[in-house]
Amino acid sequence: MATTKDTKQKPLEEQLKRLEEIATLLDRGEAPIDEQLRLYEEGMQLAESCRAYLENAELKVRTLAGDDIA
Amino acid sequence: MNEQPVSVSELTHAIKGLLEVGIGEVVVVGEISNYKHHSSGHRYFTLKDADAQIPGVMWKSRTLRFTPQDGMRVVVHGRLSVFAPQGKYQIDCTLMEPEGIGDLHKAFEQLKEKLRALGYFDPARKRPLPRPIRRVGIATSPTGAVIRDMLTTIGRRFPALEVVFRPTIVQGGEQASRDISNAIAELNRQDVDVIIVGRGGGSLEDLWCFNTETVANAILNSGVPVISAVGHETDVTISDFVADVRAPTPTAAAELVTPITADDLLRGIDALRERMISDISGTILNLQQIANSFTDGRAARRLTERINMRSQRIDDQTTRLSRTILQSINMRRLRIDHTAALLVSLHPLSPLQRGYAVIARNGMVINASDPIDPGDEIEIRRQHDVLAATVQSVHQRESTTGTSHGNDQGHKAETT
Repeated sequence: MATTKDTKQKPLEEQLKRLEEIATLLDRGEAPIDEQLRLYEEGMQLAESCRAYLENAELKVRTLAGDDIA
Repeated sequence: MNEQPVSVSELTHAIKGLLEVGIGEVVVVGEISNYKHHSSGHRYFTLKDADAQIPGVMWKSRTLRFTPQDGMRVVVHGRLSVFAPQGKYQIDCTLMEPEGIGDLHKAFEQLKEKLRALGYFDPARKRPLPRPIRRVGIATSPTGAVIRDMLTTIGRRFPALEVVFRPTIVQGGEQASRDISNAIAELNRQDVDVIIVGRGGGSLEDLWCFNTETVANAILNSGVPVISAVGHETDVTISDFVADVRAPTPTAAAELVTPITADDLLRGIDALRERMISDISGTILNLQQIANSFTDGRAARRLTERINMRSQRIDDQTTRLSRTILQSINMRRLRIDHTAALLVSLHPLSPLQRGYAVIARNGMVINASDPIDPGDEIEIRRQHDVLAATVQSVHQRESTTGTSHGNDQGHKAETT
């Protein structure tokens, strides 16, 4: 009954956390400009991927068989 | 038997008094038969045992917590009433419970007190729901509306949530309790973040499996927080007390595990995206302005302006400085002139001493250039006296001497 974790991409929460982090970094505007451009690109990709993930998500239900019910 | 006959109404009235007042409130145990839930909402039935029976009615306004069935033994609380038009008497039933329910109530209270004393309900050991919740375990019946409602709610609010469903017997007594307990243990091995155990509403007997020590222990020993969602808002079970969180209904539990909906997140992502765009645009605009200021000569102009400003300040200071110096030089020069004049006048060989005289008219000294005419009254001032005289005639000299001692020698005046 052990489960294998689904690891094709980083979990949504991690992506969201990174997205917020990037937005904060860009807000401060302290990083060198090429770094800012890199962060921007990464942020936009993350936003897109999170969006797509949420919009395409379908409820996944796995059913376990109980020991005590027939 | 020579009494006056009474009317049927009078007799019925007397019976009514005997039954409704004389007997009044009753608690009766018996078996239900002919149970009818009329479309009006009122319930009609007969209560009987081996040797007798009595009709009963339970009006629509009374709450019934379970579905009575023919053959079921129940305890009925109510009062006797007489229905005069048909000469019938019945129990007007206010409360009906399955027989033995009193024992269940007692058992419930006893277990509750026991577990409370053991610290099972201690708020300090209750865990908050984790954030975020990625995967939720659900233990409930595979049939009925409860699982369907929960899955619908989760799917509508946050379909990215994974659900591990463990079909579970949630009706009745010890057997169901064991199954619920196993379900909690199994879901704990499924890497879920939180477990919901629950079922829809029902009688105290139906819900009894959530009122056992077995289930209480399973919840207490769960490695992840457990939400108890049993029955309706008003149904309270032991599992509600022990669980980390109590949800009033199974649907409410589904909402608790989806505190942030997909729509919330999508809005948040859009906001972050806009923030990033405006940030990066701001940075780029800034850089463009800096670059432009170099190419369009603005920077050079600003530099010249700054240099000019500085040199003007230097000029100002220099002017101030030289003005001060000039003033102080002039002051000194004046003092030197004054002293020199003084020295001249004090010279021992000053002209009067040497026999020269000063000519004055009307008290004013006459200079060499001042005109003087015959007949003018004049004073001749010598070293020690003043002579009053009248000019007789004036002759111009052929040449004048270059001397000037403040005294006129260019004029030769003859006086009397």
